[in-house]
Amino acid sequence: MSNLGTTVTLSQNEEAANECLEAINSRFSGSGVVASVERHSNAKKYAFIRITTPPQHWQALAKWMRFDLGVNYCSMVTGTHFPEGPPERGWEVAYHFLRQPISNQLPDTHTVYVAEKLDGQLVPMEFEVLIPLENNDSPIVPTVQHIWGGADWNEKETWDLVGIKFEGHKNMHRVLNPHDSPEGFHPLQKQHKIRYHDHNEMYDDAQGFGRKPADEGRVK
Amino acid sequence: MAQMWITMGPQHPMTHGLWTLRVKVDGETVVDTEAELGYIHRGVEKICESRDFTQVTPYCDRLCYVSAMTWANSYIYAAEDLLEAEVPERAEYIRLISAELQRLASHLMWLGAFGPDIGNLTLMTWCMRDREMFLDLLQELGGSRMHYNYPRIGGVKRDIPIGFADRMIAKVKLFERRIDEYEMMLDESTIWLVRLQGVGYANAEEMVEAGVSGPNVRAAGVNYDVRWAHPYSVYDEVDWEPAVEKPTSVKGADCYDRYRVRMEEMRQSCRMVLDAIEKIPGGKNTNYANGDEMIFQKAPTRAPEGATGFSNYECTRGASQFYIQGGGEGRGKNPYRLSIRSPMFITIPFVAKTMIGYKVADIPAIMGSFDPCIGETDR
Repeated sequence: MSNLGTTVTLSQNEEAANECLEAINSRFSGSGVVASVERHSNAKKYAFIRITTPPQHWQALAKWMRFDLGVNYCSMVTGTHFPEGPPERGWEVAYHFLRQPISNQLPDTHTVYVAEKLDGQLVPMEFEVLIPLENNDSPIVPTVQHIWGGADWNEKETWDLVGIKFEGHKNMHRVLNPHDSPEGFHPLQKQHKIRYHDHNEMYDDAQGFGRKPADEGRVK
Repeated sequence: MAQMWITMGPQHPMTHGLWTLRVKVDGETVVDTEAELGYIHRGVEKICESRDFTQVTPYCDRLCYVSAMTWANSYIYAAEDLLEAEVPERAEYIRLISAELQRLASHLMWLGAFGPDIGNLTLMTWCMRDREMFLDLLQELGGSRMHYNYPRIGGVKRDIPIGFADRMIAKVKLFERRIDEYEMMLDESTIWLVRLQGVGYANAEEMVEAGVSGPNVRAAGVNYDVRWAHPYSVYDEVDWEPAVEKPTSVKGADCYDRYRVRMEEMRQSCRMVLDAIEKIPGGKNTNYANGDEMIFQKAPTRAPEGATGFSNYECTRGASQFYIQGGGEGRGKNPYRLSIRSPMFITIPFVAKTMIGYKVADIPAIMGSFDPCIGETDR
C-alpha cells in the first residue's frame, strides 16, 4: 500500500498563506498591524505568515486569530532583550502559532485527512507574531493566556527567564529558576554575562573556589 | 474526609527524571495537582549565546539523552533557515534515516520504562535488548552511543559506512517481527489492560488547546504530524503515513490508546527507513569521503542582525521548535538569542491536571503514557 505524495504540498501551503494574508489585511489594515507572507530558507522552503503588531492591538488580533482564522495552537513564546536597540524596540516578544486541523472524535472513529483534499481553514499554517516593546526597564505586554491555554506556561517561562511582564496573566510564578530567586533577576537579559574562566585558571583553580563572578555585587 | 497534599518527587519512580508533582488527595482520589519543574535547568539558551553556530549542536544533543539525534537535527534546520544553507539530497536522506532510527530507540526506551510502571518487568529487558540494535547503528554513524553530534549545518558529519545498509535492513526487519511479539505479550496481558484502559482520558481539542503535540494527540484520532503538515526533510518522498489511533471513548484517548499509537509509529518508522535506504541518491553501498559535496555543502558561518531562523520538527515526543536570532557576538558568529520549545515542558503541567479524578495508583500509568523527559523540559 503506497501512500506517496500525501504530505501537504508547497502549492497548498502558499495558497493558504495568501488567503490568510488577505483576511488579515482586510480586517486590520491601517491599525499598525503589518502582515506579510515569508518563506523559510531551510528544507522545503514553505511559506508562513509574519505579523508585526503594537502591544495595544495584540489582544484584539489574538482573539480574531483564534476564533475567526482558526489558529488553535500556541506553540512558543520568545522574549528578547535589545539593550542597545532603538527607543521603540528595546524588547521583543515573538509568538509562534500553528493552525492544525484537529477536532474531537467519536469513540472508535478517527479522521484521516488526505492532504490533497484539505482546503480553507483546514490547511496547516504557521504564524509568527512579533511585538516590539519600548526600550525601558519594565517591558509589559498583554497576556493571551485566556485565549490559548498553550500560552500559559510559555509566558511563565518568558517572564522567568527574560523578565517581560504579561499584563493580566493569572498565577505567574518562577518555573525554571529557583522559586526563591531574587526579585528582578532574569538571566536572559543581556546585562548578565556568562561567568567565564580561561584555560590556565581552570588548572590552577580546578574547583573554582578562587573565582569571582563577573557580576559579583550586582546580582542578589 | 480530610484532604491533604502529598509530594511525589523530585526522587520518585513515577517522575522519570527530576521534578515534583504535588498531589492533593481525598482518601485515594486525586482532587488537585501542581507541577514544579526546573530541577535540572542548565541554562542552555544562555550558554548558546556565547557559542558559534557549529558549537551549539552538542548542547542540543544533550537536551534529551534518549533522542539526541532528533534534537540536534531540529536545531540544524533552524540554523539552516538562518544561514540560508543548501543541503545535498543524500544528506537529507541520511538525516531522515538517523532520525527515524533514533525514534525507534527512543520509543523503545519509553516502552521499557513504562513496563515497570505498570508492573511488567519483562518489558524492560526486552526493550533494552532491541534498543541495543539501533544504538549500534547510530554508533556507526555518529561514533558515540548517546550524544552523536552528527548533523552539520549544510549536511552530515560523515557518510553511512559500507555495509551499514545491509545491517540496518536485517535489524529493522527483525524488529518488525519483534513489534508483533510485544503486542502479543501486552495486548493479552490482563494486568496491562486493566491498568491502562479507561485511565487518563484526554480529548484532541483540549490537548491542542493546552499545547500538547505529537503522538499524544494522534492517539486521540487525528493524523496531524509535523512531518506530514510541514514536511522538512524528504518525508514527502518516502513511503509512510502518520500513525493514528481510534480513541475508545467520547472523553478522548486513554493510556492504552497512547501505547497503541507509539507501537504503530514504530512500524511506520521501520517502513520509512526501509524505503529510504533503497531510494538514497548515490547508492546505499557507497561511502563518500568526509566533506564530499554529496553529503556536505559549506554554509556561511555568520548571520546578520535582524535575520531569524525557525524550525518546526517532529521530535519523538511532539513538535520541538527552535527560534534563532542572528547578529550576536563575533560580528554575527554567535546567535544573539536562541530559544527552544520543548514539547514536554507544555505537556507535563497539562498531564498533571489530567490526573484529577483518578486514583493515586493511576498516576504512574497516566504520567508514563505521555512519555515525559526532563532533560528537554528544563533545558
